[in-house]
Amino acid sequence: MSVNYSYQSRTFKKNLPRLFQYFVLFLVVLIVIVPLVMIVFGALKTRGEFMTRPYTLPIPLNWENYVKVLRMPVFWSMLRNSLLIMSVTTIGVVLICSLTAFVFSRMKFRGQILLFNFFTLGLMFPITIAILPVYLIVRQIGLTNNLWGVILVQTSFQLSICIVILRGFFMAIPSELQDAAYIDGCNAFGFFWRILLPLSRPALAAVASLTMVASWNDLLVPLVLLDKEKLWTLPLGTMQFQGQYGMDLALIAAFITLSTVPAIIFYLFAERQIISGLTAGALKY
Amino acid sequence: MKKNSFNLDVQTLPQKIGSTRLLQDRMTIVLFLLPALVFFSIFLVYPVFRSVYYSLFSWKGFGPAVDFIGLNNFKRILTDRIFLKAVGHGLLIVVLSLSIQLPLSLALALMVGRNLSGRAFFRTIFFMPFVLSEVITGIMWLILFNPDPKRGFVNAILTLIPGLKAIPWLGDTRTVLLAIFVVLTWKYFGFYMLLYMAGLQNIPSEIEEAALIDGVNKRQMITYITIPLLGSTIRTSVYLSVLGSLQVFALIWIMTKGGPVNASEVMSTYMYRFSFVRFELGYGSAVATVMLLISLVFSLVYLRFVRQADYLN
Amino acid sequence: MKKYSLVLFLVGILLVSGVFATLAAEAPVTITWWHIQTAEAEKVLWQRLADEYMAAHPNVTIEVLSLENENFKAKLTTVMLSGEPPDIFQSWGGGVMNEYAKAGLLLDITAYLDKDGWRDTFSPGALGVYSFEGKNYGVPRDMGMVGFWYNKDLFAQAGIDNPPATWTELLKDVQILKDAGITPIAVGEGDKWPGAFWWEYLAVRIGGQAAFDAAYSREGSFTDAPFIKAGEKLQELVALVPFQSGFLGATWGDEATLMGNGEAAMDLMGQWAPGAFADNSVDKLGLGEKAGWFPFPVVEGGAGGPADALGGGNGFIIGINAPQESVDFLKYISSVDSQIAQAEINLSVPVVKGAEGGLTDPLLKIVQQGAAAAQYFQLYYDQAMPPAVGSVVNDNVQGLFAGTLTPKQAAQAIEDSAAKEIK
Repeated sequence: MSVNYSYQSRTFKKNLPRLFQYFVLFLVVLIVIVPLVMIVFGALKTRGEFMTRPYTLPIPLNWENYVKVLRMPVFWSMLRNSLLIMSVTTIGVVLICSLTAFVFSRMKFRGQILLFNFFTLGLMFPITIAILPVYLIVRQIGLTNNLWGVILVQTSFQLSICIVILRGFFMAIPSELQDAAYIDGCNAFGFFWRILLPLSRPALAAVASLTMVASWNDLLVPLVLLDKEKLWTLPLGTMQFQGQYGMDLALIAAFITLSTVPAIIFYLFAERQIISGLTAGALKY
Repeated sequence: MKKNSFNLDVQTLPQKIGSTRLLQDRMTIVLFLLPALVFFSIFLVYPVFRSVYYSLFSWKGFGPAVDFIGLNNFKRILTDRIFLKAVGHGLLIVVLSLSIQLPLSLALALMVGRNLSGRAFFRTIFFMPFVLSEVITGIMWLILFNPDPKRGFVNAILTLIPGLKAIPWLGDTRTVLLAIFVVLTWKYFGFYMLLYMAGLQNIPSEIEEAALIDGVNKRQMITYITIPLLGSTIRTSVYLSVLGSLQVFALIWIMTKGGPVNASEVMSTYMYRFSFVRFELGYGSAVATVMLLISLVFSLVYLRFVRQADYLN
Repeated sequence: MKKYSLVLFLVGILLVSGVFATLAAEAPVTITWWHIQTAEAEKVLWQRLADEYMAAHPNVTIEVLSLENENFKAKLTTVMLSGEPPDIFQSWGGGVMNEYAKAGLLLDITAYLDKDGWRDTFSPGALGVYSFEGKNYGVPRDMGMVGFWYNKDLFAQAGIDNPPATWTELLKDVQILKDAGITPIAVGEGDKWPGAFWWEYLAVRIGGQAAFDAAYSREGSFTDAPFIKAGEKLQELVALVPFQSGFLGATWGDEATLMGNGEAAMDLMGQWAPGAFADNSVDKLGLGEKAGWFPFPVVEGGAGGPADALGGGNGFIIGINAPQESVDFLKYISSVDSQIAQAEINLSVPVVKGAEGGLTDPLLKIVQQGAAAAQYFQLYYDQAMPPAVGSVVNDNVQGLFAGTLTPKQAAQAIEDSAAKEIK
């Protein structure tokens, strides 16, 4: 008996830190989830309920807010525009950044550091500051009121952070791999396309996720460059909604939830890529 | 048959030698860099220069900028009490982020580690706030911080504790910056945690296994092995965190517009107000230029002293 | 060859004349119209007017853009910068509009107004807000005055029979309300402009038209006694702690919600208040029968008249590149019928003679009459003066509310800005 007792207490002591870990983690989960849940639930209440009983469970489930939003044709056109812009921007950013990061991580040339610093300029200049001159240039090129104008600007401003991240990851690829490829007759592009990129899937997925999120949530660029309502994106619509329905928090909550759902789905999807990339043990010293 | 040539001597390699190879490399570099260069120059660099140019004028924004006043805007900035306050707030946010947000993210990343069951679940949940736009986050937390405990969740919880009264988080000059920092942490800790987790994944398990065999305990492992090996990632995260903290805009603008009475003012909100609300675009551009300079100096110094080693490796 | 060249020549003429023919026959025109009404009923009304006009003029296409207030201001800045304003757009008149006019971004419609007596359909005071240096650039659709909207039930509950007529009485009533456990005043000082009304009205009561005119014309100064006294009186009020908790961070929306749900007794606000109270209340009914209105009280010893009004309104102005049809459309939406329709949904307090009948809310009728009868009608400072100065006013008044600035400091800051901006 005494043996069992001490064994149990030992196991318990061994598990204590683990239990503590889980406790802390679940606490954080709560802190993260509660605000989100409040919004999702809030959307399921009527406006009056939201104001008077915001913390209770939404019973009965009131779908009218969600239905109302889904019925608005403008919601769908905004969704489509956001999707279009996001997809093209992401593909562009990933391609361009991997090309650039490749050069900075695996090739040597004079003035490298200076040029790299030049590219990190984007990190120091958020779009808010440059929006007026940016608008002028886009207008000069003739791309206002055109989704492409938004795409080009968003791409440009995403380049810096993605180059920084990708370079870090690319550097971890052993140079022997590169030498081997060269020996086998591969040129730089071949190595890049056939070896480096596939190996870097998690990093690419990370960069793609970042870009998708940034593009999806961008308010300022579409606001300034797009005049026609049928070209608007979701964040624009959110602000509109806030102004229009002001205190109809339940409806706003529904709109917010619906406009974030696609982003979350994309994220979950991209996360799979990250996981699969990592578990494949791609990067080993 | 082509085979793995790790052991071959360089001289015996049948490759294109000398100048052809060099030329091909040169061309590769130029071609690869071209797209980024083009985008960058047109849509980022040129506007930056234009912005700096405007800062030398007193300009309402209509028509061409004609009232050249040289460095007067900058002289005004140096004596502008509110601007200096804004800079102070920005620095405060940076310090808080580095001392609270990053360590928190690191601790969580270590806890979730690489073999905790339910890892994917935690990672997904923690990253979710990052996916929300700042607009949505701001609106959401505006609701949560409502001074009325009947409507504001934070105060509702607070008043559950006996002896504590509801606090007007966003309406009190003493608490507003703290409230904003809480929201910033809530939103971004998941991103940094993910960054650290990816970095952790890169540490080969053999090293940790070997250490365990050698008898180190958990704490020693973390302090002497894991964290140093995470060095590169940590340095990247510090870099991104400082720049991000200096530039935060939408969140603050939505929640407080820099108020009340400039208590949550930062450089970006100050700049926005002068440009879009006051129509003093020359001064606004000057503020933007100062922001750029501060970030630039930090970046150069950081890259030179801290990251140089990483880069050259 | 000659034969063919003749044929070619004839064909050419045919083509060219054909082209001209189609062009001349009512060339298609597109008008861009930006307004800031996002509430459903209001958006629908504007769209209906646009549709009606398009039906009557098939060659005209009106592109309506409805933007939320903040977005509108941000977007307008960028297009003004590029020198390509929209054709018809929302304006509050005054100093901001003057800037656009000075920069040559607006179309001078003085001649259009003079034709067919269009000018006379408007109340002159309101129309004047949209003119600069004798030229008209747009027309008003709504003009009202700021006053106290109060909850009659809450007043009765506290035992107050009549609304206060003097500043001293107001302070007394505030105390009575507080003692009865009722929040006396709702103010969204986070947005800054609601609180500015208080200070500006005090200046109107204490200094009258003379004080503002002197300061604005730069013969006097914003540090003259009336402006400092206004600050002192305001701080007297603030010292009583009459506002809701967290007022420094509250928005106009929060203010309207409090009033709409009957949680505060009074609100110093403009003519759009009742609509907002209803919209923001839980039951969507707002104050309804419980609502009352009284003008800003007299300040003992003040030089201003009791009927002086602080107020403002909304209107539309025309961009410099606008086609002629824009002015015609503007005329259409300024018709009596249009104004009556606007009044019925509480969108506008009409400025076109004969449309007052459209007002169904008796309180708004009082507001409209008060605005029309005012001897001295002061446009809100942040519209009357250049945007930079208006901004400084709002910021500094917030400092007075927060107790971080003294009346002298606030007045000095405003004076400094005015000296720089008003030339």
